[in-house]
Amino acid sequence: MTTLTLRRRLWLSRIDYLFLIPGLLIFGAFILWPMLASFYYSTLDWTGFGENAKFVGLKNFTDLLHDEFFYAAFRRSFSFMLMTVPIQMLLALVLAIILNNKLLKLSTFFRAMIFLPVVTPVAVIGIIMVLLLSPFNGPINGLLLDTGLVTRVVDFLGSPTIVLWTLAVIYVWKWTGITLIYWLAALQTVPDELYEAAKLDGVKSWQVMVYMVMPIIAPFAGVIALISAINALNVFPLIQSTTQGGPFFSSEVMEVYIFRTAFAPASGQFPRLGYASAAGVIFGLSIIALTIVQAILMRRIRRKEPTHG
Amino acid sequence: MSNTFKGTPSRRAFLKMSAAAGLASFAGPLAALDVPTVAGLPAANGPLHWLDSGGQKGEFIKATLPEFGKVNGFDVVYDGLPWNEIGTILPLGIRNGSAPDTFNLPQGMEPSVALAEGWIQPYDDYFADIAAFKAAYPAGSFVEGVNVFGGKTYGFPFSTERRFNNALLFDRAKLAEAGYDKIGPELALTYDEMRDAAKKITENSGGRSFGFIIGGNQLGRWGDSVTMLAQRAGAKVGNSALIQGLDFATGEYAFGSDEYVAAVELLLAMRDDGSVFPGVLTINAPQAREFITQGAAGMIIQGPWNVPIWEATAPQFDFGVSPGPVPTADQQNNPVYVAQLPNTGNMMWLNKAAKNPHQAAAYFAWLGSLDGQVAYANVASCADPAIFPETIALADLSERAVQMLNMAERLVRIAPNPMIANPDLSKVAAAYVDPTPNLSQAIQGLFAGQLTDVRKTLTGVADARNKALDDAIAVAKAAGANVSREDFAFAAWDSSRDFTNDDYAAL
Repeated sequence: MTTLTLRRRLWLSRIDYLFLIPGLLIFGAFILWPMLASFYYSTLDWTGFGENAKFVGLKNFTDLLHDEFFYAAFRRSFSFMLMTVPIQMLLALVLAIILNNKLLKLSTFFRAMIFLPVVTPVAVIGIIMVLLLSPFNGPINGLLLDTGLVTRVVDFLGSPTIVLWTLAVIYVWKWTGITLIYWLAALQTVPDELYEAAKLDGVKSWQVMVYMVMPIIAPFAGVIALISAINALNVFPLIQSTTQGGPFFSSEVMEVYIFRTAFAPASGQFPRLGYASAAGVIFGLSIIALTIVQAILMRRIRRKEPTHG
Repeated sequence: MSNTFKGTPSRRAFLKMSAAAGLASFAGPLAALDVPTVAGLPAANGPLHWLDSGGQKGEFIKATLPEFGKVNGFDVVYDGLPWNEIGTILPLGIRNGSAPDTFNLPQGMEPSVALAEGWIQPYDDYFADIAAFKAAYPAGSFVEGVNVFGGKTYGFPFSTERRFNNALLFDRAKLAEAGYDKIGPELALTYDEMRDAAKKITENSGGRSFGFIIGGNQLGRWGDSVTMLAQRAGAKVGNSALIQGLDFATGEYAFGSDEYVAAVELLLAMRDDGSVFPGVLTINAPQAREFITQGAAGMIIQGPWNVPIWEATAPQFDFGVSPGPVPTADQQNNPVYVAQLPNTGNMMWLNKAAKNPHQAAAYFAWLGSLDGQVAYANVASCADPAIFPETIALADLSERAVQMLNMAERLVRIAPNPMIANPDLSKVAAAYVDPTPNLSQAIQGLFAGQLTDVRKTLTGVADARNKALDDAIAVAKAAGANVSREDFAFAAWDSSRDFTNDDYAAL
């Protein structure tokens, strides 16, 4: 058997590599280049508009370490993730189990209804939610008052104590449909024979779920959690279209913080693209770290699983 | 029973009414508009893009600029946006090359900074005789350090700053029902009266209406309103941007002063009384303006631009105008201060990368002529008064507009402007980084309840701002600027009168 040289192997697969080029170009232009540019910009004292960029090394990073609003936004981003992902996963799982029942009438209709918010633009949802939740003429407050559940209007998006929870509920409502699809895909991997065998053996439905289905779909949970967690850290459009991070920064997550410092500073301030890039780099690295930790945990869990056969 | 206000307009109705405002307000004054044809205008490079903060002057531009473009062979794209959106969209547009040909600068951005960042260019060369054009303006309209830099003209002024930018506007019936029927342009409420009136308005309506409303999502409203209240309380401080809250006697920021603290405490007291419209933290100024005409609240602190808008769109709304409230009745004549004669917020600036600088300059030339100013004054009314004083006598104004203008003449003073006194301070402005939270953010935080100690919070903002200014001065000095903290102090100024060009010359 002859061993092909690397060059020869590349040549033989040239058509395959040719097909990769468009994808690589797009990846380079829209992923790789912005990432590298962010690293570079993070070393500059630069508004992003003028020609007066000045190299400052790691000063932006050291300044960030003394910025309480950066810490607050960073903490808020991960709080938001913890507020949404478990509820979203659990809710989607329950709905997926119900809707996976082929005997359930209108299951396709319900799936479509639950998925509808996913395909609705976030900005549209943001505007509609501002109107629905309005404390002075919003129907939700009207309903709460008319039914006597509250005696004074609730400022869902203007109260610093509940604004993040309000946004979390909107977020979960908006994105549960996509998690539902993931769970449904996972449930499709459970063989029909298993259900039939369980039925013949007289196993109860909850036992089928807990002892048979769950162990099979459990490995998918890690992947779904990872995807959901990363999505929950990317909530800029929802927050920008509803609260812009307010009131007084109480819903300012990292992306809004980065946007504010880079492009929309308060009156009397001017943009700091270098500083915002440094914040973006730290946030990006923390997400990568989260991904790595999750991958390591998944691997350990799999190793502990008993082998079948 | 629901205690929410049910008479508020839908978004669609709001848009319809806003559009109607423009049409209604021009139907008469502009019916016979005759814009000139400019000879020798080069061919346009696409439509002329114009961006400003809207309002009454925006409606004038929106109506006349396309007409001007039509007779001079170019198309027009006009955008009138709230200030916070200008602050977001314009920097992005500059960055990606899509910024309009001419625009208002974001609030709080010193023109010197825009110049240093390469946003703007002078328009002298687009005029056949710029000296003659400027000579027709009232003295003090073109000022080195304000709209002129290095002898070149950058900012185009067409309206005056001498207006009561944060007046108290109120529903006359509601205030009368609360027992305050004497309030008007000559008699302001005291702080206690305002709080009492707000409480009674809320009580009298059975909770369907509220005493006070403010567009609290538009951050600048907090700082501007409170600064006006502080000035009315006797603080001799600057009104906006770098000099907002700057005590002219000492050159130090005075946010921690009794006047500022009392002003914020007035807002918090009304909040605690349940007299403030719910949801103020999520509505902007135009929304607040619209809601009060529908009976949702009794009082609002906003500018004179509301007068012509309300008279056109909400003729059923019986409102009155008054100067901002004062702590005690003997302070009725306390003035408020503005930084210079030309209105810099309305001032238009020519994009350095403008595609149609000749077209923009041609329109500037018409609007800066007596004909253009008269046409403008007929529409702008007291909202953004024309900078040519002779137009006031020629304009057709409502009774309330006259009250507003008289109120401004009586109570608005031109304060010293450090930027004019020492143009080198533009380098300080360029180096200055406003700390976070700034005044408006801090007041919003106090109102939202996230911050609690008023004096401590405001003193903290003042300290941070004083340090930021010192840092900027140090940077500017290191770069060769001849500046010092003393440049911000005008201890000898008699604050009962305008600070004039002669005063600058005497420094």
